Amino acid sequence: MSFDVNIILRYYPELLGGAWVAVWITAVSLVCSSAVGAVVCIGRLQKHGAASRLATAYIDLFRATPEIVLIIWVFYCLPLLFDVRIGRYGCAIIALSAYGGAYMAEIFRAGVQAVPRGQIEAANALGIPIFHIVRRVIVPPAIGWMMPALVNFLTELLKATSLLALIGVAELIFVASTLGSKTFAYMEFYTAIAVIYFMIIFPLSVYARRAEQRRLRRTGN
Amino acid sequence: MIRAGTRAGTLGGLANRWGFHAVLLALGALMLANLNWTLVRSFEFAFIWEYRIALINGFGITLLLTVEAGIVGILFGTLFAIGSQSPFAPLRWLVAAYVEVFRNTPLLVQLLWIHFALPLVTGINTTALVSGIIGIGLQAAAYYTEIMRAGIQAVPRGQIEAAQALGLPARTRWTRVVLPPAIRTVIPALLNQNISFFKATAIVGLGLLVDDFFNSALRVSNDTFHFIEPLTFAAAVYLVLGWQAGRWTLRLERRLTRGER
Repeated sequence: MSFDVNIILRYYPELLGGAWVAVWITAVSLVCSSAVGAVVCIGRLQKHGAASRLATAYIDLFRATPEIVLIIWVFYCLPLLFDVRIGRYGCAIIALSAYGGAYMAEIFRAGVQAVPRGQIEAANALGIPIFHIVRRVIVPPAIGWMMPALVNFLTELLKATSLLALIGVAELIFVASTLGSKTFAYMEFYTAIAVIYFMIIFPLSVYARRAEQRRLRRTGN
Repeated sequence: MIRAGTRAGTLGGLANRWGFHAVLLALGALMLANLNWTLVRSFEFAFIWEYRIALINGFGITLLLTVEAGIVGILFGTLFAIGSQSPFAPLRWLVAAYVEVFRNTPLLVQLLWIHFALPLVTGINTTALVSGIIGIGLQAAAYYTEIMRAGIQAVPRGQIEAAQALGLPARTRWTRVVLPPAIRTVIPALLNQNISFFKATAIVGLGLLVDDFFNSALRVSNDTFHFIEPLTFAAAVYLVLGWQAGRWTLRLERRLTRGER
């Protein structure tokens, strides 16, 4: 067995390209899933009614379905069902945003519920418009509370982009498999992408763990 | 309106004010209007029955991988977690490195590495299923190590010190004093993790082309050129099983925490 570092160096632009695809798909999906998550969270925060039930169903649906099943389903079925052309990248973003929306909704809900009720009541008693209550009273402390969970979810999303290779999105695994079949240097390329994934994900998960501990120490439970 | 705003569900009041329900209805109507109704009308789920043998075999593989992840994960996870409490620092570092590597890289990368790169190192070729079993077992061990470690750290220090003061040998201390309450506290976390691995088995199926349940469903699709029916059926099976297992775990968790009080 020999490990040829030179072949990685020769093809590093391709590998970086794959990493870039993974990162931008993650970024776009994160933004979209925040939007979906915010809407679902508003529904979930209601005590009863159609919106509450619908939001709960949405969260259950997308948390119980495996990500890969969702990605494949969106790729094969969605364009047929609605008779549209979406493309690999569109499917990837739709699937990841739908899946992410369910998780983001739960993260947002935990954040909002962590804000002391008295503060919201006080703001309400002062007659502050609800939009300003959300922006000035609920969001700032909620963000601090949510940060560890958010970053944790970001690492999950990054790991989920690896599954997009199976629908032909040219992210890291796809690039490595292509290069591997061209040069037979599977060992080198799969090791290289494992290292790249680790270098992106590891700092984030360390940060999430630290932030979580800091929060636990601050709130004292 | 004001009363609605005074509850923690303030956003609930917000939702009503924005005509949230109207927006939802509009979205639903838009989706229904854009559905390809000719296709929907031609749906026919009966032919899936003809592939029942393949699907049941596939489901067997899925179950095998899920159970294997649980057994291998809990066994090795417990061992590694005990290692992580060792006074011998290099052993602790080794466990930490193992856990970090397997938790911070995607499962698919690990599977491909084990299937295509590992044989170059060991000289032993593994079939796709064996690679999948190794890969999911290794990752399960890493995740379960973290869970077991949390459980061990939740055992009151006084109990461990008491065992030490009584002069119990290390083996008895672990098997009789530390592990029983540690495992009890983490049972719900272990089950939740195993539900995640049930979901992850589909990655083994598609990534390494093992004929698990989902890959079998995809092959039915490719065989019949009907994509929506088999894939939706498979997704529904995963959804129902995963959802139901999650509910049972939650109920068990509630019962366990009630027993503690």
